[in-house]
Amino acid sequence: MGQELLDSDLLRRLERLQLLSQRWSKGALRGERRSRNRGYSVEFADYRNYVAGDDLRYLDWNLYGRLDRLFLRLYEEDRELPVTIFLDASESMTFGEPSKFRFAKQVAAAIGHVVLCGSDRVSVRVFPEPKDHHRLSLINVRSRHSSLRLLQNLSELQGGGQSDLNEELRKGAIESPHAGMAVVLSDFLSPTGYEAGIKALMARGFQIMAVSVWSAEEFQPTSYGDLKFVDAETGAMQEVSFGKFRLRRYQAAATAYVARLAEFCRRRGVAFWSVSSATSLEDLLLKQMRQLEFWR
Amino acid sequence: MSFLSLAAFWFAVSLPVVVLFYLLKRKRKVRLVSSVLLWQRFLNESRANAPFQKLKRSMLLLLQLLLLALAVLALARPYFADYSLGGALQVLVIDASASMQATDVSPSRFAAAQASALQLVDGLQDSDKMVIVLAGARTLVVQSPTSEKAVLRRTIEGLQVSDAPTRLLEGLQLAETLVKDHASSEIHLLSDGAVSDLGEFADSEMKLVFHEIGQGSDNIGVASLDVRLNPDDRSSQVVFASVVNFSTNDYRFPVELWLDDRMLEARVVDLEKGGTASQVFVAQQPTNGVFTFRIEAEDQLAIDNEAYVVSLLPQPAEVLLYSPGNAFLERALRTSGTVNLQQTSDPTVAADEFDLVVLDGLIPQEWPEANLLAFNVVHTNWFAGWERADAPAVVDWKSAHPLLRFVGFDEVLISEAWSIATPFWAESLVESAQFPLIVAGEQEGLRRVWIGFDVLNSTWPLRVSFPIFVANAVQWLNPSMTSGHQLTTRIGETLRLSVDPNAESVTLERPGGQSEEWPITAGSSSLMFGDTAKQGVYRWGTGTNQVRFAVNLLDAAESDINPRATLNLAGGRLVEATESLRADLELWRWFALAAIVVLMGEWWYYHKRTA
Repeated sequence: MGQELLDSDLLRRLERLQLLSQRWSKGALRGERRSRNRGYSVEFADYRNYVAGDDLRYLDWNLYGRLDRLFLRLYEEDRELPVTIFLDASESMTFGEPSKFRFAKQVAAAIGHVVLCGSDRVSVRVFPEPKDHHRLSLINVRSRHSSLRLLQNLSELQGGGQSDLNEELRKGAIESPHAGMAVVLSDFLSPTGYEAGIKALMARGFQIMAVSVWSAEEFQPTSYGDLKFVDAETGAMQEVSFGKFRLRRYQAAATAYVARLAEFCRRRGVAFWSVSSATSLEDLLLKQMRQLEFWR
Repeated sequence: MSFLSLAAFWFAVSLPVVVLFYLLKRKRKVRLVSSVLLWQRFLNESRANAPFQKLKRSMLLLLQLLLLALAVLALARPYFADYSLGGALQVLVIDASASMQATDVSPSRFAAAQASALQLVDGLQDSDKMVIVLAGARTLVVQSPTSEKAVLRRTIEGLQVSDAPTRLLEGLQLAETLVKDHASSEIHLLSDGAVSDLGEFADSEMKLVFHEIGQGSDNIGVASLDVRLNPDDRSSQVVFASVVNFSTNDYRFPVELWLDDRMLEARVVDLEKGGTASQVFVAQQPTNGVFTFRIEAEDQLAIDNEAYVVSLLPQPAEVLLYSPGNAFLERALRTSGTVNLQQTSDPTVAADEFDLVVLDGLIPQEWPEANLLAFNVVHTNWFAGWERADAPAVVDWKSAHPLLRFVGFDEVLISEAWSIATPFWAESLVESAQFPLIVAGEQEGLRRVWIGFDVLNSTWPLRVSFPIFVANAVQWLNPSMTSGHQLTTRIGETLRLSVDPNAESVTLERPGGQSEEWPITAGSSSLMFGDTAKQGVYRWGTGTNQVRFAVNLLDAAESDINPRATLNLAGGRLVEATESLRADLELWRWFALAAIVVLMGEWWYYHKRTA
């Protein structure tokens, strides 16, 4: 099943990539990333006064010989990087050819695979919540051996239902025990907006990457005439008299919507991609994301 | 603004119907989309860009209401009453004279007059009637009173301009009789005002509206053309022409003299504004022919740039003079062209075989059956009674008569004359205060000229006018020689043409080239021809016996195309040109046009949204 999302060739090439984190890692468990925490690696960090009970192995005996005082050598501790992937599975994501949701799952799988290969921890938060067992099996996945299971679980996910992007991001920010990297995969077409959710993630200290997924239909509508549009997700209706003469105006409005989102992200240091669901996956993962130093 | 068909406002009931249609829900195609968010954004932005945000939703409704309102207005036929056409009978007098051919207004003054007339027809109210009088070569009622606008339009569009001089007087008199019995009437005169004869128009209190047509005065015209035997060399002819410049510019232009199809001479004439140039040509003429004088100038009236004169070679006339001896008369007769003169003082000589008999104080025993030129004789054949009168003073003479061409009676003194009453067959040419001195006429098919005094008892033979008169008389009386002058006439005037009494029909070829066959009453020797509305050379005759005659405009008043802003009527009344010719201007066409534009706009707008 995993092969359906990403072919083995792409997986192999992804394994060579390494996630670049611009922040100190805040993971709970030891890993392979530098953190602010003091611990036991080879990288010297600082001294501190000895207090009773400290491990005598880390006393600096040379210093004691010179100063006649006991100092403890401190080392940086390497920790893991917790990566949280917010995957929008609402009804609106099921549109498009190929479907936006499938594309988002592919990106999530690729990122997850890279994270697991880099000995970091990944959680995929799907919203609205899937009803079955998938929820648990996607949270706190560690080790590259779990990668295949992650891909399989992802591929079995079905889109549908209604969700509130703001609320889901806020909930995710609160529920995460450690802030790390957050990847938001959505079409950002939530009636309540996306601003509050992203701000909540930032407040929690996440390093955020937002990927907005579009379908071609959204930029190039094919229905003309006197229309009544029904929102698949909310059921809201909108009457529109639409013709080819107004297509450009519509496209301008859609582009402006994405541009506003991009501007919002840029001002807050949020990495942002806007991609069509028809974009080549290799191009996005191996070229665009490398160029923007998401990984290397 | 008023409306001709107020009832059409009932159509306005359709306006609420349109609103009703908008109250009905439109059936829309339902489409499931991922999110309506973008569509809402798009609609919001569209509204934000529109200047009338609230009306945007019902733009189509507004367009349709506007369309209907315009259509209803058009149906109601609104018009502006610029000046009232309230009269119940409108008489339209359209000037169709030659000056209306001027091209100073495009395409011509006559076309402009037609356009103005059509406007007047448009302004006609349903209850009004209109008569159209065309003042061309002849004054015609081309359309009897009617209120049918289509008929009036068709009539006006079918009118033709003529080559004739202006005859507005007749037109106005006719119009006056037409409106006489109508309480409410108006006469509309469409003319350039190039007319001189309105002073005789006994103007009543009728309502006359003068619509001035034309704006330019750029014209050069031939004012006169004549041909005479050269007095110095009888084998050649002298052609006189005068050209007048009526424009406000000086002109330099070539003139040409043609004899039939042969150009004899061309010269260049310089003519200052308002000036007249007389041109004299001496030409050899081997046969009878038509002289054509032509101005090659680019002016606004073409018709007066050409004139024709028929010139016939002189034929010898057999003349018998009964006279006790009169050297002046003999000499005058001998020099008056080609004349074979015989003289006798014996009244018993019979005057057979002579073309012309001259009586100078003598009455032959046998009354001559020929044309007569009689000096100082009275006869019961002619007059009922007579008596002698002393020293009558010449007070008036008709210089227009061919006998008196170039003849004046200034300084002519007469010691004694016969006092007679003008007989019914003659007209008086020269008059004293009480009685005629010279009469001329036609009696039983023969021409008579009677001079009521002895020329030897007057100073007339010493004046230059005497030999000219005798020459004129010989020409006028010579039956074998129809003078060229008799074959040259003005447009619209009547011409006497002699015909072969044995012929059954004659052929007439008009200047355009069309020819027609005319039957002739058996035995008639002459025919009056009045259809001379077109300028040019006409050909007339039976078989090989062809005669040509020329019809000319030669009218300085007509050539002076400068439009007059006022008409001088009798009694010093002036009729000024109406400043702006805008009869009740019907506006429905404009409303209908606007409605069509709005309809197209609505169609475009709808498709812009939904195409």
